[in-house]
Amino acid sequence: MSSTNPPERSVQTASPVKRPRFALTRWLIRVRAYLMKELYELRRQPLLILSLVGGPLLVLLLFGTTFRNSNPVLRTVLITPPGGVPGISIDQIRALAGTNFQIVGVSEDLDSAQAQLDSGEIDVIQVFPDDVMGMVQRGESPQISFLSNAINPVTEGWIQYLAYAQVNEINKAFLQQQTETAQQEASGIKLRLVDTRVQILELEQQTTPEKQREAQEDLRTLRADLERLESQLPRQETSILAKIDFADLRRRIDITKENIDLIDRSISDGTLDQHLNKVRDTNQELARIEELLNLFIELPPDRVVAPVRQTYSNLRGQAYQAVIYYTPGVLALLVQHTAITLGALALIRERLLGAFEVFRVAPVSITQLLLGKYIAYTLFVALMTALMVGGLYLMGVPFLGDMLQLALLCFLLTLASLGIGFLISAVSSSDSQAIQLAMITLLLSIFFSGFFISLDSFALPAQIISTIIPMSHGVSGLQNLMLRGISPSYLAWVALGILTLISFVAVVLITRRQLAKA
Amino acid sequence: MSAVRSNAVAIESQNVDLIFGPGAGVFDLSYSLPEGSILGMIGPSGCGKTTTVRLALGLYAPQKGQLRVLGKQPTSFTPEDREQIGYIPQQFVLYPNLTVAENASFVASLYGLSGRTQRKRLNELLAFVELYEARNRLGSQLSGGMQRRLMLAGALMHDPALLFADEPTAGIDPVLRGRFWDYFRQLRDEGRTLFITTQVVSEAVYCDRVAVMRRGRLLAVDTPENLKRKAMGGEIIQMVLEDPNRVREAVSILSRYEPVKAVRTLSDQPGYLQVTVDDAGEWMPEVLNVLEDPDGPAITVSSAGELPVSYDDVFIRIMQQEDANEQYQSA
Repeated sequence: MSSTNPPERSVQTASPVKRPRFALTRWLIRVRAYLMKELYELRRQPLLILSLVGGPLLVLLLFGTTFRNSNPVLRTVLITPPGGVPGISIDQIRALAGTNFQIVGVSEDLDSAQAQLDSGEIDVIQVFPDDVMGMVQRGESPQISFLSNAINPVTEGWIQYLAYAQVNEINKAFLQQQTETAQQEASGIKLRLVDTRVQILELEQQTTPEKQREAQEDLRTLRADLERLESQLPRQETSILAKIDFADLRRRIDITKENIDLIDRSISDGTLDQHLNKVRDTNQELARIEELLNLFIELPPDRVVAPVRQTYSNLRGQAYQAVIYYTPGVLALLVQHTAITLGALALIRERLLGAFEVFRVAPVSITQLLLGKYIAYTLFVALMTALMVGGLYLMGVPFLGDMLQLALLCFLLTLASLGIGFLISAVSSSDSQAIQLAMITLLLSIFFSGFFISLDSFALPAQIISTIIPMSHGVSGLQNLMLRGISPSYLAWVALGILTLISFVAVVLITRRQLAKA
Repeated sequence: MSAVRSNAVAIESQNVDLIFGPGAGVFDLSYSLPEGSILGMIGPSGCGKTTTVRLALGLYAPQKGQLRVLGKQPTSFTPEDREQIGYIPQQFVLYPNLTVAENASFVASLYGLSGRTQRKRLNELLAFVELYEARNRLGSQLSGGMQRRLMLAGALMHDPALLFADEPTAGIDPVLRGRFWDYFRQLRDEGRTLFITTQVVSEAVYCDRVAVMRRGRLLAVDTPENLKRKAMGGEIIQMVLEDPNRVREAVSILSRYEPVKAVRTLSDQPGYLQVTVDDAGEWMPEVLNVLEDPDGPAITVSSAGELPVSYDDVFIRIMQQEDANEQYQSA
């Protein structure tokens, strides 16, 4: 319409029509009719495009830039016994508890802390028992009580896990302290043990009664020392990793104590001569105990407490920042959401407008109608995706994989999503119902596509649902391509292909039935 | 558009039934539409006009009877057959976010017209329906009349041989309505066949053939003139006698005169007579001679002329006759 002057009205309404010769040309012109119509309509609705793309993008951008980590901050008050915890300073307690919990106060007033918990000022109360060290030394199990009134099951899970981790740390600290004490004890005993062995040698050589009584006293002291040491030795299960057989040491200590008792009695009743073999055995046992004590004393206490250690290294260097990690998911979400929304409105609007009646009279088929719309929306989503990918690239988001595969994956994701959208449109009876179904699909996708919550967290039915959500395959495929530099899984390609095919066939069948009723 | 064949029939319907439920549908439809003519289907809302159109378009299949459009059963139309047909539905079904030109081009593309052909015809057709100046205006910015004209332009883009228009003049002002009929008659003059439904009875005068429909049945199908004659029993000559006292005498004379089919007086108008004959123009001088014969009755007629009968009157008369028929049959 370049001319501005209208043609003259004449008797002949208009020039005769010359139709394209080939049926295929006319067929393609009809597909193009829908294609161009949709593109013109999209071009005239900038607000729709803005709300469709800009809205979710802004929300997710806000999420990505402000998200730090998923660990909750747990405001905690420590309740200690009056006068503090014997043997542990408040700073030590703060250091131990503060690793996982944010300590906002240390108090002796449990009621006041509970009031704070009730009012929501704090999240956790940790109550320490009166005499932790004493109870440990007495062989009792002191308990640290963790109190909360969490309503969020995830937060409660975190509190329980962090409490477990904290108590583990405290136990380790106790064990290390106990081991150090035992090692100090063992050092002293070892010295006495050397002296005692000299005296035992003298006993073997038929020494004087005075010397025997001196030896008797030293043996009794040694016996008490051994008994004390026995109670402080680390648990048996640590012995293998620490290369010390504590069970053997305990057995030898027990034998030695029995021998010392026998020698003690024989010195008292003057029958030592008859038990000289025991005196020799005792000397040998003490020599072996001395060797074991040497090993024990030289052992670093932390190896006894925590013989197994972990190392971690990320072969890629380090994990991505949260905003980067979620970017492929956001891209998949926007592609799917835009395609579904466009598709969801596509057929219902034609139907409500009454255009189906005109289409039935015209020489057009449902395939031409759908193809035209598919191509138009695919072009639009492709343009939008290209702009987003370009923007993300400029922002430094990595694209490690093959760009051709990325384009193909986005193309398939668009087709599958359009199919779902058209299906929604075909079964909806109004605009608002179509939009509602599109929003439900969006919610379903956010929860069950693996975007935020790993699919492994769900039971089988939800995992099956996830396979019929195009975005599930889009998220995993784009993560592979963009962040790992590897191809999407075979399942992703196949699933998107099948979803595209099934949805197209279903839409054709349903719309054909609706056209027949138009 | 193919040339009009002499005596060719665009639509031939014989005893077609399509029944949706008790009393709902169309029954025993028999009519034909010669090529190059306008058939106006007149009837009240819900009488079955749109159903008749949809049957002819192949959107519905007849349950009984024979229906052929352009020589084929409509339900078996091929895309090539459909390219010969244009359709203007009752409601505006073009797109509010497309311009006038884009809307018309969209419809043209549905009929497989190439871009170059479209552009040429578009300018001519927009000029024809006087929308050329508004060609870049969005569909949403058009008045009701402009929307109707755009629908007409869209339906003509592919140069159909047969055009169906379902109440194209409903809800538009009389001036625009007249213009629409100008368009239709011009299209007819170019050789197109038009099937137009309307509730406006007076539009029957623009048609070559008129079908009157009520409750799913065709009451009459004929040319407007024949329809008028049939409804009124012929044409009516109205006259006023100079001497009102001689009315009875005049009635007696005319009743015995063979060309006269009926004579009617009106009690509130002394000396006034309505004389029904086959053709008022042909028989008026004879009728006057019979009365004024100086060797005969010598009754002076002070004024005489053909009684103008509106199509509203014709329509009402046809309805009344149908009611009377129904009462007679039920009795």
